[in-house]
Amino acid sequence: MEDPPLQKIAISGPTLASLIQRFSTSPSAIHGLLFGHVTHLPLTLSDDSSSSAPTLLATVTGFLCSPSFYDSSGTVLPSALRPHSSLLGWFSARRRSPLRPSMREFSVTSSLSSLSQFSSPIDNSNPNLNNSNYREQPFLFPPCVFLLLASPPSDNAPSSHVHTHEYRAFQFRTGPQCFEPRSLDVVNIGPAFRGHYGAFSSNSRLPALDCGLRGSPMDEGSDERLSGMKQAAKDQRELDGCAEGFEIGRLSRMVGSDARSYTEGLEELYQKMLVKIQNLTSLVEKSSAMVLEQENHNRKLKHKILRSAAAE
Amino acid sequence: MAAGPENVPPFIAAQLSHLLSHFRLTLKVEQMWSGDKYNSGPFDRFSLLIPYCLDFIKWDVIFDAESPSAAPDVIFGPEDEDFHPFHMQPSPESNNNSLSDWNYKDPSRLLTLIQFLRDQYVLYQRKRVGEVDDDRLKFEISTILSREGIEMHMSSGGEKLEEVKFAVPLLDMNINKMVSCCPWRYSQKIYLQVVYPVGRKYTSAPSAPRLKLVSSPELKAAFSIDDVKLPPWLDGMCLAEYLPNLEEYLGKQVLEAVSLIEVRRHFIEALASPFGRPVEADPVFCRKATFLAASGVFTFLVHFLIPTQFPKQQPSIMLQSSQHFNSQMAPMKSRLISDYPWSPRWEPLLMAERICEFLGDEALNFKRQCSEGQVQQ
Repeated sequence: MEDPPLQKIAISGPTLASLIQRFSTSPSAIHGLLFGHVTHLPLTLSDDSSSSAPTLLATVTGFLCSPSFYDSSGTVLPSALRPHSSLLGWFSARRRSPLRPSMREFSVTSSLSSLSQFSSPIDNSNPNLNNSNYREQPFLFPPCVFLLLASPPSDNAPSSHVHTHEYRAFQFRTGPQCFEPRSLDVVNIGPAFRGHYGAFSSNSRLPALDCGLRGSPMDEGSDERLSGMKQAAKDQRELDGCAEGFEIGRLSRMVGSDARSYTEGLEELYQKMLVKIQNLTSLVEKSSAMVLEQENHNRKLKHKILRSAAAE
Repeated sequence: MAAGPENVPPFIAAQLSHLLSHFRLTLKVEQMWSGDKYNSGPFDRFSLLIPYCLDFIKWDVIFDAESPSAAPDVIFGPEDEDFHPFHMQPSPESNNNSLSDWNYKDPSRLLTLIQFLRDQYVLYQRKRVGEVDDDRLKFEISTILSREGIEMHMSSGGEKLEEVKFAVPLLDMNINKMVSCCPWRYSQKIYLQVVYPVGRKYTSAPSAPRLKLVSSPELKAAFSIDDVKLPPWLDGMCLAEYLPNLEEYLGKQVLEAVSLIEVRRHFIEALASPFGRPVEADPVFCRKATFLAASGVFTFLVHFLIPTQFPKQQPSIMLQSSQHFNSQMAPMKSRLISDYPWSPRWEPLLMAERICEFLGDEALNFKRQCSEGQVQQ
C-alpha cells in the first residue's frame, strides 16, 4: 500500500532546542532516530471538495543520537534498531554544508522507509472523522520522516560567535522514491497553537512496564516466561523504590478534612521529594561526566587512527 | 581563510591528490574548508568542479575529520535533486560499489567513486533529455546517440527557457599522435556544442540550434578553432546531415594546421642564418623563437611570435634591450611590430633576410627610444 502523505510535520519546542543544542556542542556531524506519533489533524470547516488533501500530522516528540544504524553505503541495518512502536524517521545534522539531502542521506532514508516492520500505528481515534472515512484510513506509517540540520558553508568568519542553524523537514515517498519537503511547525510557538491547549493530549506515553504477574505459576513455564517474570518483579521493586514514603494510604490522609493536622507530614514529604530530586540531579551529572569522558576517549582513539593513516 | 595543504588531513590529501592526478579530465578543487564549528579544524570538505558537457558541475565532497575511516558523502548541485546514482534504473551492474567496502588506506577509492558518479550522471542527464516532449529532439537523439562520448545536459533554471545542450565529440582522429613530441597530458578533442531551445511547441518551423565549436584550451597552440567558419545550418536540417560535412571540413583544417608546424620550423631554422642560433625556441609547435642581435655596441633580444596562420599571417616581432631598464629594473621592450614588409610567397630564407634588413633600421629607432625612455614600460 502506498504510504499516506503528511500535511505537515510538527516538533515540540524542547525537542528541537535539545536537538540543536546537541548538534552545536558536538565536535562533528551527528545523526540519529526521531520518535513521535502520527495523528489526523482536526478537520477545518471547509468545502468538501478539498477532502483529498492530506490530513496527517507527524509530531516529533523525541530523538536519539545513534552512532551507526546504517553501513557505509547507506543501507540501514535492521539489527541495529530495536523494534519501537513510535519510530518516525531519522535526522542528520552536519556543519558547513548545503541544506540539501546528500547522496548518503537519500540512501539511508530510502532504506529506512522501506522497513515496514518499523512502521508506527496511526492514531485514528480523532472524533472528527466520520465512520466511512475511518475505514479508508491506512493504519500504519513507515519511518519516512527526514529532518536535515545544517549551517551555511559560507559562514567563514572564525571569530564569529554567531552560529546559524538551518533546518528542513522532508517526507520520503517510497513510491516515486523522492523527498517531498514538508513544513515544520514548532509546537507552542506562534499564535496557531493557542487552540492546542483545549485539545491537549500528552505527548509521551508511560513506559510499558509488565508489572502484573499474569497467568498461573503452574503454566508450562519456559525460561522466557520465567525471565519475564523476574524482569517484572525487578521493575516492580524499582517502582516501589521510587514511591517509598508515598504510600497510597498515607497520601489519602493528605486530602480532605483531617489534612490540616498533617502539615508536618506534608513538610516532611516535600523534604523527601527535594532530597530525591537532588539525588537524581547528582546522578545525571555523574553520568553526563562519564559520557563526556567516554566521548573524549573515543575521539582520542579516532585521532590515533588518523595519525596511523598519516604514517602510511 | 588559511587555505594551505597543511590543513588537510593526510587521509584526505592522499585520496584527493590521487584523484586529481589520475582522473581522465581536468578536475578543479574550488574551495576547501573545515566542518569544525569555528572553521579552525582540519579541512575535511571541498567543492569539486567536474567538466561535463563543456561546462562544469559542482559537487561538495564531505569527509569527516572525526571519523577518518568513514566513506565520504557527496552533495550534488541544487539542479540535480533527482540524481540518485545508487538508485537508478536499471540499477548499476553490481552492488559492489566503491562505498560499501570503503577503505581509507587505499588512496584510489575516491577516484573510483567520482568516476562512477560521473558515469551515472551521464546516464541520468541522458534520461532527463530523453523525457523531454519534443519531436525534433527525440529524432536528433535517436540518430546521434550511437556516437561515442556524446554528452547531453538539460537545463531548467526557473524563469530561464528550457534548453537541451549536446556536446558532440568530432573527428575520430588522435590529434596528440599527429604532433611529434606531444606535450599534452590529456587527449585533445574538438566538440560541437549544440543548444536546442525546447518548450516552444507552437512555433511553426523549428529554428536552427545554436552551434559553437569548442576545443580543449591547449589545442590553441597548434590550431585555433576561432578561425573555423561553421558551415551554415539549412532549414529542416538535422544533426546527422550536418555533422559529416563539418567533420570533413574540420579534418582538413586540422591536417593543415599540423603541417604548418613544419613550415614554422623551417622559418625558425632560416632565421638562424642571419641571426645565429636562437637563444630560445618552442620546439614542439614552433610558435616562439628568441634571438640575440647587436647593432654596433647595442645588444638586444628579438622575440618572434609566430601565428598559427603562418605564413598567411606574418610573425609579430618584439625587441627587448639588454642594456636599458625601467624603474622596476625590468628590461625595456618595444611594441609588437607586425607592419613590416612581408609576402607569404617568399621562401623562408628570403623572409629571414628581409626581416633582418628591416630590423637594421628598427634597432636604431628602438635604441633611441630606450635612451629617451619613451617605450612602453
